Amino acid sequence: MRILVIEDDLDAGAAMVRGLSEAGHDVRHVGDGEQGLEAARGGAFDVMVVDRMMPKMDGLTMVETLRRESDQTPVLFLSALGEIDDRVKGLKAGGDDYLVKPYALVELLARVEALARRRETGQVQTNLRVGDLEMDLIGRTVHREGKEIDLQPREFQLLEFLMRNAGQPVTRTMLLEKVWEYHFDPQTNVIDVHVSRLRSKVDKGFDKAMLQTVRGSGYRLDA
Amino acid sequence: MRLPSLFRTTPFRLTLLFLALFAGAAAAFLLYIYAVTAGAVTQYADAGIVREMQALESVYANGGAAALKESMADRVASGRPFFYLLLDQSGRKIWGTIDHSPVGEFDERNTVWMHFDVASTGPGHVADHRLARGERQRLTGGEVLFVGADVTWAEAYFLKITSALWGAGALVIVLGLVGGVIVSRNVNRSIAGMTDVVTAVEDGDLAARVQLRGAKDEFDELAAGLNHMLDRLERSIESLRHAGDAIAHDLRSPLSRLRARLEVALLDVEAGKGDPKEALAQALEDTDGVLRTFAAVLAIARLQAAGSAPDQKAFDPGLLAADIAELYEPLCETRGLDFKAELSPGLSVRGNREFIAQALANVLDNAVKYTAPGGAVMLRVRRRSSGDVEFSVTDTGPGVPEEDRARVVDRFVRLENSRNQPGAGLGLSLVAAVLEAHAGRLELDEGPGVFDGKGPGLRAALVLPRAG
Repeated sequence: MRILVIEDDLDAGAAMVRGLSEAGHDVRHVGDGEQGLEAARGGAFDVMVVDRMMPKMDGLTMVETLRRESDQTPVLFLSALGEIDDRVKGLKAGGDDYLVKPYALVELLARVEALARRRETGQVQTNLRVGDLEMDLIGRTVHREGKEIDLQPREFQLLEFLMRNAGQPVTRTMLLEKVWEYHFDPQTNVIDVHVSRLRSKVDKGFDKAMLQTVRGSGYRLDA
Repeated sequence: MRLPSLFRTTPFRLTLLFLALFAGAAAAFLLYIYAVTAGAVTQYADAGIVREMQALESVYANGGAAALKESMADRVASGRPFFYLLLDQSGRKIWGTIDHSPVGEFDERNTVWMHFDVASTGPGHVADHRLARGERQRLTGGEVLFVGADVTWAEAYFLKITSALWGAGALVIVLGLVGGVIVSRNVNRSIAGMTDVVTAVEDGDLAARVQLRGAKDEFDELAAGLNHMLDRLERSIESLRHAGDAIAHDLRSPLSRLRARLEVALLDVEAGKGDPKEALAQALEDTDGVLRTFAAVLAIARLQAAGSAPDQKAFDPGLLAADIAELYEPLCETRGLDFKAELSPGLSVRGNREFIAQALANVLDNAVKYTAPGGAVMLRVRRRSSGDVEFSVTDTGPGVPEEDRARVVDRFVRLENSRNQPGAGLGLSLVAAVLEAHAGRLELDEGPGVFDGKGPGLRAALVLPRAG
């Protein structure tokens, strides 16, 4: 997919370009908000990664301008400001996700891919399907190979998030943020335990393990 | 800042304004008194004249002009304070104490009230113009009788009052101006202390404080307020400075460790002994640790500097705890811990939900980390009789000895038996900082006690003050 990276720190930008390109994406990098605005207006990008603090035009203003021009390209804000109100400000300005610096490359990649995917499946869905796993979003039921899987509400949300991002790695932080809506970093492996519970329900008794652990980053649901 | 010159000071201007108002009010008052008193005096004089006239008329009716003349003479002799004048039909004086009628001869009206001048005709007296009032009556025989009264005393009285008031007015204005100057000087002196302090603070001396004069007036109050504000400002700048030092200190040791490890790894790789990939992975992990420490230290420092948590809203603590319980329950189960939650419904507290969730998660993290399998963890939310709301986490782990309880809240303090557990020793410090930022407190107590070789456990209570 085509990704626009707007980051004034050239080293950080180069690292992002490298990491995202290696994952098979077409990446363009510009160094300030004005160039970013120009590039965003010119080319059809799937996702934009925008640093919040930049010379000439800061990230917030740039994204607000684009949103006024009804450009709905998903935006991932990068910021050294990690406070809750900064996060809220970023999301209010039209950002779709918020990543605090410094971040791990896998985290960035996972979030960018999740944003792009969210855009692809933008229309309202009533059911999700990944391989032989089927989720009815209205009836709140899950079937695999026709057999119903009984899930707790939170497990359902967790699986829904994994299914919406099927084939892509999702990190523990993403799960805690998107499924539980907490923005802190637990000192214990709470998320792993939830995922392994879900895994025992989704994969137990079936030949193929769908819910994979991705070393060093998190989890991935494969078809 | 320069002090304004006297005439530009607010108190002096206010004094002038009050003087003007006072003078206006005094003039109106004077006018009113004059009008009322003058009316009363005239009426009193008129009533006397009317009575005198009636008495003389009845004398005339009984004895004619001759009797009238005699009666008037008697009255003058007995010292009555009236003027009399009797004229015949043609206007010639028959008898009287004054020479001319003050009323025009051709005035045909019967009764005339008027002010007139009297030329006193006493022997050896210079003509003396006096103010009088009188009534003229045409008698049945065609004669004209005039009775007047001297009202000079009343006029003199008014004059005295008026000049007294003028004098008083002048005195008031002079005293007012002097008072204005004194008040302005006083106020300026009171403010000068504050002005000096503001100047000093502007110049960077945050320790400057206003000397209270002990008058307990509004200036002292303002000065006390200014001092209080400066105290707070100084404290928060101090705590920011302290936070900066602390962050530098807190990060120095993990960074030194990381550096040493990289150095050793480099030597090993150069010597062909070590695996560079492993060394890099280890370095990355160490860096993540440093970053986590940094985030925690920064969060604590910011909370401490801010004094109060941002975005505080009312929420149901039971629901928040239920949410967190749901997050931790599977973890406890996996670790072989019996997890229970007792959450009072329908309570309300005010706070930053995210921070309090994090504090609760930290305490639960600790409970899970330090409690051996087979133990129990209990999460409770209840309202205390004081109205405060407490979240408490009780475990059956080794607990914290009483003498260490105050200390474990300090940053980077890790007790001996926890050294083999992951963590940087910031968990409880952050909890304490979050609670402080909500005007609450962290209380550490013994858990349920020793049984089955476990315990005595730890009970950590996160106490939030009652909402409102």
